[in-house]
Amino acid sequence: SRGFARRCSRGLRLPRSARAPSAGVTAFPPCRYLLCASGDFVKVYSVNTEETLRLMGGHADLVTGIQLNPHNHMQLYSSSLDGTIKLWDFMDGIPIKVSSLGFYLHLHFYPLSGPHSSVLLLVSDRFFFLWSDTFQLVSVKLTKGAGQDLESKELSVVLDGVGASVKHIAFGREGAYVVSVKDVTLQVYFFKRKLLNRFSLSTVKTKGGDNRFSCVVCHPTEDCIATGHADGKIRLWRNFHHRKEYTYSTLHWHHDIVMDLAFSVEGTRLLSGGVESVLVQWHNESSCQKDFLPRLGSPIEYISMSSDGALCCTLHTDNRITIINSNLRFSRSIQGLIKSRDVKTGLVVDPRTKALVLNGEPGHLQFYSLQSDQQLFSLDIVQRQYIHQAGLKQSDLVKVAFSAQGTWLATVEESEEVTDPELQLKLWFYSEETQSFTLNTRINTPHDNHITDMCFRDMDELGDDSLILVTTGRDCVFKVWVMVEDTDPEGKTHESVSWSCDFVGSYHNYQATNCCFSEDGSLLAVSFEETVTVWDSLTWDLKCTFCHPPGNIRNICFGRLTCSKYLIGATDYGFLCCWNLLTCALEWSAHLNIVVLQPDPLSEHIAAVSWLSKESSLFVFKPNEPRPLYIQRNLCKEKILLAAFVPRDEPETISSEKYLWLRKSQLFFLTDTQELMTLSTKSLEERLTPSSKQLAVEESLPVTPFSLLLGKHRHQQAQEDTDLGKPVVHNKQEQASPAVKELLHTPAHVLPSASFLCTIFINSLLISKENKSAEEVADEVEMESEKADGDSDEEDVTVMEQEDTSPMELLGEMTCKLSKSQEKELRKIRKMDYSWIAAF
Amino acid sequence: MVASGTGTQLAIGCEDGSVKIFQVVPGGIQFERNLDRRKGRVLCLSWHRSGTHIVAGSIDFFRVIDVASGQTVQRIMVNHQVEKAKRECVVWAIALLSSGTVVSADSFGRVQFWDWEQGTLAESHTVSTSAALSLAVSEKEDSIVVGTSTGATYQLQLLPVKLGGLEKCWVRTKPFQFHSHDVRAVAHSSTALISGGLDAQLVIRPLMEKVQKKGYDAVLRKFTFPHRRLVSCARKARLLLFQFSQYLELWRLGSTEETGKDGEVLPPCRMPEHLVQLKSKGPEHIYCSCVSPCGTWVGYSTASRFQLYRVRCDGDGVSLRKVPKVPKLLPPAYQLQFSADSESLFVASARGSVHVFQLLEPGGCKHLHTLQPPSGCSEAVYLLAPSADGHWLAAVSGDWAIHIYNLKCFQHHCVVPAYSCAVSALAIHPSTNNLVIAYSDQQLFEFSIPEKQYTSWSRAVQSRGLHRTWLERDSPITHITFNPKNPAHILLHDTYLLCILDKSLPLPDDSTLLMNQSTLKQLPETARKRQLHAFKICKKFQPLLFMDLLDENCLVVVERPIMDFKTQLPLAVQQKKFGT
Repeated sequence: SRGFARRCSRGLRLPRSARAPSAGVTAFPPCRYLLCASGDFVKVYSVNTEETLRLMGGHADLVTGIQLNPHNHMQLYSSSLDGTIKLWDFMDGIPIKVSSLGFYLHLHFYPLSGPHSSVLLLVSDRFFFLWSDTFQLVSVKLTKGAGQDLESKELSVVLDGVGASVKHIAFGREGAYVVSVKDVTLQVYFFKRKLLNRFSLSTVKTKGGDNRFSCVVCHPTEDCIATGHADGKIRLWRNFHHRKEYTYSTLHWHHDIVMDLAFSVEGTRLLSGGVESVLVQWHNESSCQKDFLPRLGSPIEYISMSSDGALCCTLHTDNRITIINSNLRFSRSIQGLIKSRDVKTGLVVDPRTKALVLNGEPGHLQFYSLQSDQQLFSLDIVQRQYIHQAGLKQSDLVKVAFSAQGTWLATVEESEEVTDPELQLKLWFYSEETQSFTLNTRINTPHDNHITDMCFRDMDELGDDSLILVTTGRDCVFKVWVMVEDTDPEGKTHESVSWSCDFVGSYHNYQATNCCFSEDGSLLAVSFEETVTVWDSLTWDLKCTFCHPPGNIRNICFGRLTCSKYLIGATDYGFLCCWNLLTCALEWSAHLNIVVLQPDPLSEHIAAVSWLSKESSLFVFKPNEPRPLYIQRNLCKEKILLAAFVPRDEPETISSEKYLWLRKSQLFFLTDTQELMTLSTKSLEERLTPSSKQLAVEESLPVTPFSLLLGKHRHQQAQEDTDLGKPVVHNKQEQASPAVKELLHTPAHVLPSASFLCTIFINSLLISKENKSAEEVADEVEMESEKADGDSDEEDVTVMEQEDTSPMELLGEMTCKLSKSQEKELRKIRKMDYSWIAAF
Repeated sequence: MVASGTGTQLAIGCEDGSVKIFQVVPGGIQFERNLDRRKGRVLCLSWHRSGTHIVAGSIDFFRVIDVASGQTVQRIMVNHQVEKAKRECVVWAIALLSSGTVVSADSFGRVQFWDWEQGTLAESHTVSTSAALSLAVSEKEDSIVVGTSTGATYQLQLLPVKLGGLEKCWVRTKPFQFHSHDVRAVAHSSTALISGGLDAQLVIRPLMEKVQKKGYDAVLRKFTFPHRRLVSCARKARLLLFQFSQYLELWRLGSTEETGKDGEVLPPCRMPEHLVQLKSKGPEHIYCSCVSPCGTWVGYSTASRFQLYRVRCDGDGVSLRKVPKVPKLLPPAYQLQFSADSESLFVASARGSVHVFQLLEPGGCKHLHTLQPPSGCSEAVYLLAPSADGHWLAAVSGDWAIHIYNLKCFQHHCVVPAYSCAVSALAIHPSTNNLVIAYSDQQLFEFSIPEKQYTSWSRAVQSRGLHRTWLERDSPITHITFNPKNPAHILLHDTYLLCILDKSLPLPDDSTLLMNQSTLKQLPETARKRQLHAFKICKKFQPLLFMDLLDENCLVVVERPIMDFKTQLPLAVQQKKFGT
């Protein structure tokens, strides 16, 4: 089924650049939550801890807009391309109301305050034609009542020809009017007077001026509209109820497009941001005073003010949220996967941390943890200041490779000059002391032209001596780099080791395009345009060649484990070939336009992604069988550029035969729109169960050390409850919990003395000591890791089914005893693999 | 110096800190009294509309003076809250609004709004990093224009905070940067902002929202040169007289004997020669000047005096002798014009009158007659055009009426039908005695003096309408002359173009190209004939100050490159430009 594979869980998908979601800081409780639409989900972050508190899923397509309910700041509206608008209680993550709007495709919407509280305005595509760029602002009367799946049919058009972006529409003071900008036209519609004013600027671009609108906001207390323009100007419009006597003043600091604007709550300050990565604060417009917050890292895409005015947050183009204090001091940032301009390095898995490694900030390598949806660290490779300026040629990271153990990292950087790339090959050694990579060798101009591929010889058992790096270049050679010990007598330390070129190979002066070592490291396959050459890695003799004309070789890889005698190659002309290395003959071939060929490091499986007529399809096969194990046609509409198998911590129990190949590793894809996707074995409904179907309640307790302790305690239990789902264990495990609950809920003046309660409380936290074996110690470790997982995965705490036993009885029960059989069962359950939960 | 709202009183601020009130009486002013004197120069003044109060700006403070009692009722320091550096804050411009708000523009670049009764600051707008120099308030007092020393002008508008609400605030709205130097003077008309600066430019920026229809008012206008004739030419003697603000220069034209093709620069056999520089006495500017066609008489006039000189050229030496006993004129001349035979001088004067002097050899003059319109006129005459045969004189007065006098019998001949626009140039054709009139809206008329009616060509032009490009031109025609060889040719020029109007050719319509000379050159002879139209325009010489036909094949053109006086300007205020 389609829903099966389409969307990545856990918000790993990056915000799409064109229709990136808006972020909003909520008002109540005072600025504790940051809400952000991300992919199909709405994320709730804690402002204080930067953690993802909740992930609200339920939309079947991209979430296009979120807005706080103007009447209740604990509620949130979200709209999605799936045609529904949902009202959430974001504290609990449960949907209160779902309104489906039929065929109208809407992008974002605005709940109206005041007398029209049940009316939503939304930007909608007129006839469901995605390619037409005529969007309308439509008002929708929502039916009252709190049921799910309400149909709303009362639609009326307010404004025609509005801009598609959420930044192109703003509502005036007290919702009296709506402003829309598109190209060089500003439209103001006054609801009460039903008056539409349209103002146009000149389209002529003089002296670097460009009057096109980029964003619009309205002053919260005065009738003033602020618009951002493509040439960096900000215009403040007034008197716009006059068709003729309207007027505007201009503020100009930005040298390029103003990406977003925001007024402070009182309207005394105006914030603006753009590609300069500088947040500009304009004070009272009468004085020329302005403040800056520079060096925010990457271009600012959205600015949002909290409703109490204490914080503001900026969303950057590289998928980062920065929280900024009202005095324009950087507070903290929430960083997911950095969206870089172009992922040239491919998706690489760090063998040490199992983190996904790819281009991050310009010139940096980011290590992104898939489990926690966090950036682990960012390694500065290029080590040069990046200047945000169009057309400037700057060095960027293009290739990266890890050795099998993750001790060595090779990187290639090149400047953007097409004709004369300044190439640098750098080798980094992982230093245990500093827990980071340190530069070992820098090789200037390793090849005379672009480096096309690079790989290490992966041989775990042979140690460092066997470590070989191969690079292929467009200068028609491949080079073999080996470690050389320096003449320094006390030789063995890695500091005295450097890399140098050992062998240069070429084949008929063809450009070398790919290289790959066989699993045992004895053979090296290098593709030269149409030909694959196989070399002995000891003597560097050319063993044999394969080719499947016509068409250049696009990808090659060796089979693994039982299939290590096969070499797989994909050509430009749409052929997937499998050659037998023993017979030196073509085993089989298939006609497929393969874009990505990715072998699983832990099994024989090879994943191939094809791209044909606007859809990507996935094929998983074993080299020894020409029939694929698994076919997923129409995986997604976008072109998949890269893929990576990430080894699972625990082999997953997979019920379906179809997905057995996903047992040991998980497959991730990166599309050309820079969305990271994965193939999930669970259906949408299953994945969403915990967050949407369960009735979840969490008191908003003040954050104290006690509440944290308690929270952890409860959390652990909840985790186990959800994992087990068996009431048998509930009884035993929960005995302590009601005791604690009782302790908390009983008014202070009727509680027994603290010394009496202390033992009960402490006991409730303990795990029974009886028969503790080595096995159990291991269990505990395991459990710890589960807990760590759970912390980030699941914030929802389910309400525990309380027993009917009276609280007094419970208080009297000092210890909880488990029978041996129960304990065994518990252990068994702990050993089971629950990593599927991580899929949420 | 500021006049009161009713125009009956004049207030003058002095260096010593006093403010003097003068009564305006017919024919002059009369000292009335001194108001309260305080230390500090008075730099600017403003009357309240009712005439009860005057506000006077000084260094670091301004004060409000009650006119009736002559006492200072409020003194407000403006330099508070300024950065620690103790610079003095000069109040360069001030305005007292009818609501009692005082608007001050100071050297810190601020425009501040004060409630003078309370002595409190209502609003402060920092419009510029350099000084704000001038200020003007619109009639409705809802808009202010401010000029700054960087050459930028800003508009401040009184706008409602909430649409339809009563609460209003001043908002800085439109910035304009049309000057390179200090904007010393600004004015606010009902439809435009007018600014004049040290860079010798006058800029009229229309307020599009106030302009009702598209027309002359709706376009930005920039003026560098006055719309007056500053050069006069002695055709026979080949002399040119240049009028500067404080002196006159007389030059003899060079000549060449060679001939060449179009575009060639011929080597002069005689270089142009600077004959004499005539400095006017006193601080007054020269208002008008003229040299007689024979080149022996030079006359000029300042605001108070009229002078006539006799020029004698003997060989290389030039002698200049003042003509004694020139009849005193009150008020002096607005325009001087010698007759074609250099025997009489016409002096345009106030109340529509034109004095006729007879020039006597070897150096003297006699008042012959004063011509006046029969119905009387309150405005002064500002343009004169005598006919070549000495029969007629056309005079244009400030009410735009053109009177034609018969010089043989010193009688009023007729009035050209009234037209609702200012006359920018006029001339009488030497052979047909047709008066050609150019108006400031770029319309052209031809009026036959003997027949006292517009000529048929003029009627044809009016019924057909002139070319749109011609009508949309920026600067008015400042001089008209004729080709004696071809009576159908009229030579016109403004600051940017020189035009030969050939009456024998068809008029262009809006679909054809008006400035077609360059395209015509590329066409073959036969095709060129078909494309010809009445306007032959040359834009080679810019900016063009003067053009006249010396004789049948010699045309003199005076060009004044803008760079010539741009380089003489003081340095502009240094401003950081992005990307430099």
